[in-house]
Amino acid sequence: MATATRLDTTLLDAKLLEVRQLGKRFAQRQGRDQGREPSPWVIQDLSFSVRAGEFLTIVGPSGAGKSTLLNIIAQTDTASAGEIVFDGTTISSRDPRALKPGIDRRIGYVTQDDNLLPWRSTLDNVLFALEVQGRLNDETRARAEMLIRAVGLAGFEHYYPHELSGGMRKRTSLIRTLVYDPPMILMDEPFAAVDAQTRTQLQADLLTLWELGRKTIIFVTHDITEAIALGDRALVLSKQPTRIAAEHAIPIPRPRNVKDIFALEGFAAVYEKIRADVQ
Amino acid sequence: MTASALSPSQLRLRAIRWRTPLDRVLVLTLIVALWQAGSMWFGAYWLSSPWATTTRFVEQILNGELLRHAGYTLAEAGAGTLIGGLPAVLLPFWLRRHPIVVAILDPFMIGGYGAPKLAFAPLFLLWFGIGMESKIALTASVVFFIAYFATLAGVRALDPRLVQMAQIAGASERQIARHIVMPAAVPNIFAGFRIAVPYAIGSAVIAELISSNRGLGYLVQTGAMNFDTTSVFAAIVAATLLVHAANALMNMLEALLMRWRPPLQSMMET
Repeated sequence: MATATRLDTTLLDAKLLEVRQLGKRFAQRQGRDQGREPSPWVIQDLSFSVRAGEFLTIVGPSGAGKSTLLNIIAQTDTASAGEIVFDGTTISSRDPRALKPGIDRRIGYVTQDDNLLPWRSTLDNVLFALEVQGRLNDETRARAEMLIRAVGLAGFEHYYPHELSGGMRKRTSLIRTLVYDPPMILMDEPFAAVDAQTRTQLQADLLTLWELGRKTIIFVTHDITEAIALGDRALVLSKQPTRIAAEHAIPIPRPRNVKDIFALEGFAAVYEKIRADVQ
Repeated sequence: MTASALSPSQLRLRAIRWRTPLDRVLVLTLIVALWQAGSMWFGAYWLSSPWATTTRFVEQILNGELLRHAGYTLAEAGAGTLIGGLPAVLLPFWLRRHPIVVAILDPFMIGGYGAPKLAFAPLFLLWFGIGMESKIALTASVVFFIAYFATLAGVRALDPRLVQMAQIAGASERQIARHIVMPAAVPNIFAGFRIAVPYAIGSAVIAELISSNRGLGYLVQTGAMNFDTTSVFAAIVAATLLVHAANALMNMLEALLMRWRPPLQSMMET
């Protein structure tokens, strides 16, 4: 396991995603705002990169344009300046019609709201992506069932979202993206709306699942503890306009026990450094 | 979920379930009593009594006459609902990607919705004759506009985040229409048909009333011409029961298609 990890970081040191001098300002509304000074930059001159197989966490205060950043990477929103290079090709665009959300299923996106389809059961929600991608077969079905069991949703396959608890809905939305195995997954504070105890359990579940496939993950949060517990590296964002304020490697060895993360060696030091950088 | 202890809201629901049918019987008794009183006050010649209506109703059921005429009315209302309802449901889906067309059509649709369709009945009779076709045309024109606006509201109320989720998962436009927009609009479409179907039956009856040789409206018309208020009432009761039957059918369909909704929510709407 340890050798495999070392191989990952040395041989596969290739950058999967590169964000170069990214800038974003929202379009002015017609009429009312015309003639006024241009709208302010929400994100300005923001650059970072992510290695294949890396778990990157991004910490920032609320209103720091974290969701906007992920939307631009996921291609559901346009960039106003700079560029994003994914797997060797430039993907960002100024033209909303040229956007390709998810870039041919290569970027998965776990949003803040679970966005489950209320008319589909847990299992059918999990199978949704496979179904529309025409990849529903015995093998992928088995994978879906494995993931459902792995996050403790066995027995709830045929429940509708309104019959599930908040934590169960989060788990469903998480594995709905994991099931079709996109090389990169974006996560936008997916555990923000659940209670502390459930959140710790969800974090542990996520790490277990991540250890299975070592996908590249960008995980956005405002919770410093969460950023440390999950990530290989944490970026700290500044507010208005959003820039990278600091970058910290998280030298806590894996596998980590999320429940006792406070007690692990190195936690306190990183926590203090990040807290000092978060405005 | 299957707890033996019921929460207060569940207990209240259960109480409502038992209470409602009982109270309905009470209300029905009250209506029949008022009807009886009115009949005695004005005289059975002007206002037939509940008992006479019931016996006439049963008599006409047994000799098959009422069923035959109700069948015609039902067929007209059913055909009109299909012919008017189907394009009304499909149109907003086709127009989803063309909001400009929706905007252009809007005043005309509002006009069609607001125009007194019954005033068109004589025209339809002129164009389609006194047979079933003219009644179907009228019913279709009534159903179309109600169903169109209901479906349009459903398509518009769509949560764009669900569409975005589907796009990221790799769904095509067609798949989004089928897997996201359509199911999301189903509750609105149902709400539309819940209003449209009784209107459809009512319109068919009224069109028959104006000129026809069969159907419940025809029974009402001949009854009135013969100063036979009992027959008029029997036909009206039959039309009312028809509406109830259609409504029960809608309830069954709804329960089947919308199992995914939280039970309390769907119950409050019915």
